[in-house]
Amino acid sequence: MKLNGFFFLYAVFASLLFSQAITAQSDYEKTQNFKTRFKQIEDGIKNAGSLDECNMIDEHIARLRSDFTPDKTLLDKSLYPDNFESSFAKIERALEIRKGDFAQIGELKTEVGSLKDKISDLSQQNEGLLSQIKQLQILSSKDAQTIASLQKLVSQLKANIAQRDELVRGIVDSLLAEFVKTPGSLNDAEKQLVFKKVDSGNLFFNIERTISDNIQFMKVTQTTPQDLSNLKKQYSDFNKVWHQIGPKLADVYVSRKEKASEIANINNMFADWNNRLNDEIWGQVNKLFREKQLAVLPFKSGDQFVNSVNSFVDDELNNLPVKGATQAEKTFYTFADSVYFKTVQPTWIPILVENNMMTSANKDSIEKKITSWKTKAAPGAKMNWIYIAGVIVIVLLLIAYFTKGKKKVVVVQEPPKTEE
Amino acid sequence: MRLINHVLILLIFVFLAACSTYILKPADFSWPIESVLKVDNKGNIEEQRYSLIIRVKSLYFQEFADSMNFAGKEIRMIRDKAGYIFMTGKDFKNVYVFIPVEGGFKLENKILISEKNLSAPAFNQKLQNIELLDGTNKYLLNNKGLVR
Repeated sequence: MKLNGFFFLYAVFASLLFSQAITAQSDYEKTQNFKTRFKQIEDGIKNAGSLDECNMIDEHIARLRSDFTPDKTLLDKSLYPDNFESSFAKIERALEIRKGDFAQIGELKTEVGSLKDKISDLSQQNEGLLSQIKQLQILSSKDAQTIASLQKLVSQLKANIAQRDELVRGIVDSLLAEFVKTPGSLNDAEKQLVFKKVDSGNLFFNIERTISDNIQFMKVTQTTPQDLSNLKKQYSDFNKVWHQIGPKLADVYVSRKEKASEIANINNMFADWNNRLNDEIWGQVNKLFREKQLAVLPFKSGDQFVNSVNSFVDDELNNLPVKGATQAEKTFYTFADSVYFKTVQPTWIPILVENNMMTSANKDSIEKKITSWKTKAAPGAKMNWIYIAGVIVIVLLLIAYFTKGKKKVVVVQEPPKTEE
Repeated sequence: MRLINHVLILLIFVFLAACSTYILKPADFSWPIESVLKVDNKGNIEEQRYSLIIRVKSLYFQEFADSMNFAGKEIRMIRDKAGYIFMTGKDFKNVYVFIPVEGGFKLENKILISEKNLSAPAFNQKLQNIELLDGTNKYLLNNKGLVR
């Protein structure tokens, strides 16, 4: 009992000392304490990783306000240029904005989730379609029905691939929006958000699959110039977005080696996709000459195309005495009229120029060469004089006919009758 | 003669009125909290809120008789309602009271607080006076000296 009494006295003495210590706190120290806690809350808002964390920060703000309300007058003066209320208004506004971000992120997550489902559906469908197409192509006898169903499957696959590409690009675009919103380097919380988004959208896998399906599509189907033009545009658009986002993702994933290597792999896949597309386009242009037995050397670029045409034309001109004029003329007309001006120039050159695979200067130099070839190989020049002479003769005959056919008209005037 | 006396008295009044200083009153110069300022290598302190730079090198000579050992040390400074500047620092025994004059601070008073060095001094603004805390010790000062 006596011991308890002493304990009570010690406690009272200690609390008196403690309260004195509290009252002896300097105003500067109080202000610094407030500023430190305020800064912690500000940092907390910036680094908050979820809506729950934001709600916890809300409680911290309320606690800070209640702890420092007794010193409001002091803080009003010492927090210059802010004051007590404006400081709280500032962090409360910042917290509201952060909460808004999380609400938006939540919506995006749902959106990405539904996109992911759609993408996996389409991917499964594509797989099935590709195998069906392969099976039909293996069949040795292709009747009308088989061909029709092949065509139907190909067009369905084309539509599916385009739709899936669009969905994957949707995820990439939403990530890009995230990077645009927070330019510069991302903080840890923002990085976590990007990780979550990339993982939930299975982004890397889907990009890889999109590229490989596009390549596969080219392999199993007969692509038209229009198909290739569309595929090239699809590649360019997707590649442009990836070039914007890829380096940023690489920065974010610098510490996660397996993801960093996936990013590098995607870069390689994009390069492969582009090469295959270019090969396909150049291959089809080469084929047009080969089909007409024109021995133009294979080419894979605008400059190579010019060089191949030049060397072909030079060979033709050198072999002119051996081949004879008729054969040389036939080769020229096959090259110029049946291949180049019929298909290559109207169909392929615009695609090649538009996609920077050849330049307008390349085109001009090919056409100049063809013109110079024509003057030597095609006797069109001699024929022209005959035509001109013929035309002159016809014109002379017509003039003669009209002048000969005109009769002189004699006007007989009767004398006026006199009245008797 | 009487008239001359009256005129002379009047002239004296006019002269006195012309000589008296014109003051705008009342004014409140008090800083809400003290400023804790680090002394740079040249011996200057800078108060950004009140746009003030002052060389305090000689203050260390006054206090410690050593004008070389100042770089990186902290000066605590506050201004009272009347406009007097109070300065002290860790290991000081005195609080220095200055009044701003043209181009500098003029020492108005040097208040001895304790024969023992101040271990953790801090100023607070207290109505007409300045409170000095040092651990659990509390002092009340004005430009004249210790109030309590």
